[in-house]
Order: sequence, then C-alpha cells, then structure tokens
Amino acid sequence: MQAVSDEQLIEWVAKGDSSCLGTLFERHHRGVYRFCLQMTRNPESAEDVVQEVFMNVLRKARTFRHEGTFKSWLYNIARNATLGYMRKNKRHAQMAPLDDHTEATLVDHHSAERAAAGAQKINLLEKALARLPEHFREVIWLGRFEFATFEELAQALGCKTGTARVRMHRAMQQLNVAYAQLNGDPSDV
Amino acid sequence: MSERNKPSLPFESSEPAEQALWQALADLPQAEPPARLRRGFYDELEKADSRNLSARIRAWLGLSGKAGWVTAAACLLVGFAVARIGVAPDTSASDRLAALEQNIAQLNRELVLDRLQDDDPGTRLLGVYDAGGLAQHDDVIAQALLVRASQDSSKSVRSAAIDALGPQLGSAKVGDELMSLLENAESPIVQLALTDMVLRNGNRQQLDELLRLANENRLHPDLVRHVKKSLGSETI
Repeated sequence: MQAVSDEQLIEWVAKGDSSCLGTLFERHHRGVYRFCLQMTRNPESAEDVVQEVFMNVLRKARTFRHEGTFKSWLYNIARNATLGYMRKNKRHAQMAPLDDHTEATLVDHHSAERAAAGAQKINLLEKALARLPEHFREVIWLGRFEFATFEELAQALGCKTGTARVRMHRAMQQLNVAYAQLNGDPSDV
Repeated sequence: MSERNKPSLPFESSEPAEQALWQALADLPQAEPPARLRRGFYDELEKADSRNLSARIRAWLGLSGKAGWVTAAACLLVGFAVARIGVAPDTSASDRLAALEQNIAQLNRELVLDRLQDDDPGTRLLGVYDAGGLAQHDDVIAQALLVRASQDSSKSVRSAAIDALGPQLGSAKVGDELMSLLENAESPIVQLALTDMVLRNGNRQQLDELLRLANENRLHPDLVRHVKKSLGSETI
C-alpha cells in the first residue's frame, strides 16, 4: 500500500481535515520529541514543546508552501518552539546533563547496545554533546538523525545550505575538542 | 525504523577523529516519548476541532462576520412574533410555539440531509459536521452518515463521517457497518479514522477484531504498529 505523503496530509489539514494531523503526529512525534529532549535536556519540557509544535503545525498549516519538504518545515517549527521555550525558561536552557531518572531510562533501554558499543565512549560522547552551545547541538542532532541532505537541514535551520555546511563542520570540531577534553580528564568522566 | 537506518548526512572530514565521532553518534541512546504525550496531543486536537466546529456553526448562523446584521434582523422578527403570541388571548400559544420549534427542527434536518447529498465535497463536509449531533437520535441521519462514511468520493468526507459516527459504535447496526468498513477500507486516512474510532469507543469484540486486522497486516504499516502498541501486544 502506498503511504500518503506528508505534503499531501498537511494540505488536507490546511483544508480543514485536522484528523490527518494525527497521521503526521504518529509519523514524526518520536523524532521531534528526541530533538526537543536533546535541546532542553528535560523530559517534561520536551513533552510541552512537542505539544506546542504540533498545535503550531495545525495553526500554520495554510502557510506551508511546498518550497521544501514537510519534515524540514516541521523541524523549523520545532526548532523555533524549542528556542522560544528555552528563552522563557532559562534554567532549562543551561547545558544541564539529563537528570538521573532520564539517564537511567536511556541506559536501561539500550543497555545491550551500550555494552556492545562501549558504554564509556557513548557516555563521554553524550556529555561532550551536552557541553556544546545550542546552535551546534541542533545541527549535529538533526544532521545525524533526521536529514540526509544539507538542503533539507538548511531549511530546518532556516539558513542557507552553505551556512549549514559551515555550521556542521564547526560543530563537529567543537565536539571533537569537548570529547578530547573529557577523555583526557578522568575526573570529569 | 531503527536508529542506525535513520537518515544521516554524508558528513566527511579530513580529521579522522571527527569522522569517528560522527559514526559513534549513531550509538547514542534514543529516548521513547511517554504514552501521555500521545494522549495529550489527541486531547488538544479534539479541543481544537470543537473550537473550529463552534466557529463554523457561529458563522453559519450569522453570529459572526458580515452576516451578523441578518441574524440581528431575524432575532427582531422572532421577538415580535413571540411577543404577539405572548399577548394574544389564545391559550394555545405554547402549542404554536412548540409547532414552530418543530418546524425549525424539521427544516434543519432537511438542510442537513440536503448538504449530505450535495455535489460539492466542502458542503457535504459541512453536512457531516452538522449531522454529528443529530445522528444519535435520528436513524435516517445516521444512515445518511453511514453512506458518506462508506461511499463518499472524498476521503476527508469519509473520514469526518466516521468520526461523527464514533459515539454510536456501540449500536449494533452502525457498529457492524463500521467494522465491515474497516475490513475493506483501502485509504490510509479512512483506516486511520476508523482505527482511532475503534480505539476510543470500541468494545472488547471490536478491539479484538481490530487487533486481528493488524496482526494480518491488513492496515497501513504505521497503523499496524500503532494498534499493536496501543493494545499492548508488541514492544517497540
């Protein structure tokens, strides 16, 4: 069975069939939640932002112009909502590590994978990522887990393709530096 | 989709350490959103829907926008009529008022049935929204909605008709028709509306039937996962 495209669904939402938003939610809420969690570092905040994102999609459906993909448009909304939320709630905007409960959940969920891949390396990588400024964290996360082209990534970030490329390279350089610092200082691990 | 198979940019760097980190990022743990997120979303969606519906009804009745003056004039006329009835010595005034109300209800019902058969999908959709509140007490309207749910050429109308019939899933006739529709629906949008309706309003037997269809992969793959997860027979 051919799946209905996201772009077709958002067109129907724009025409008043809001039930189609449910399908878009089912398709994308996991990715959006993970992105928001990565940015806010707080599960409750991430939930709030995801709700806001999809309600914004409902309100703004008519403004979708088919100039890019629905997904990049969605993540642009998610990015703006996350940054707005973090500005309003400054204590979440600090680069706080995930709290113990969340970290425990994540570890439980992927314990087998972690053991195989080298738990310590992953742990350090998470901490290094959390140390980066927001604009570097978002470009790495979206580029690694959500988008396969710089064009789409740039649309999600609301910038030019060249800017997205440059930002990605700088972000990876910073990540490398942060990771090396953590790796060379056992007291920080 | 497993995280390793998710899309990823073709990041290339002359620095091997950066390249290795890029590869290692794929192993980062991916949190699952809590179940209450889905519930919260559908609650919000329902609220937004009912706000839209009430705005449409206000607009239709001329309580908003440019048609407001028409409503005001109509209210004035009705006021005069009621006042005349009120001061008339005729003791059957309340009967006449009741008859008037009955006439209005009848006209409204016919308007809804006309709209449900209109050539324009937008008008049929409006008819479906109006019919939702009447179907519970009116078999003819319920039947007309069933026809829209099963045969309408517009997926949006079909989906809206299914939503409108949701509260009647417990009634034997409507329930059987809707379940047979679910078994034969090919459009994912219609399947989505039917699935959502059964998950919200279905009885044990209907939920079992839904699970059977999911287990036989007769629904859209996204819905199969959703149903299995909702009914607790699969761990994702």
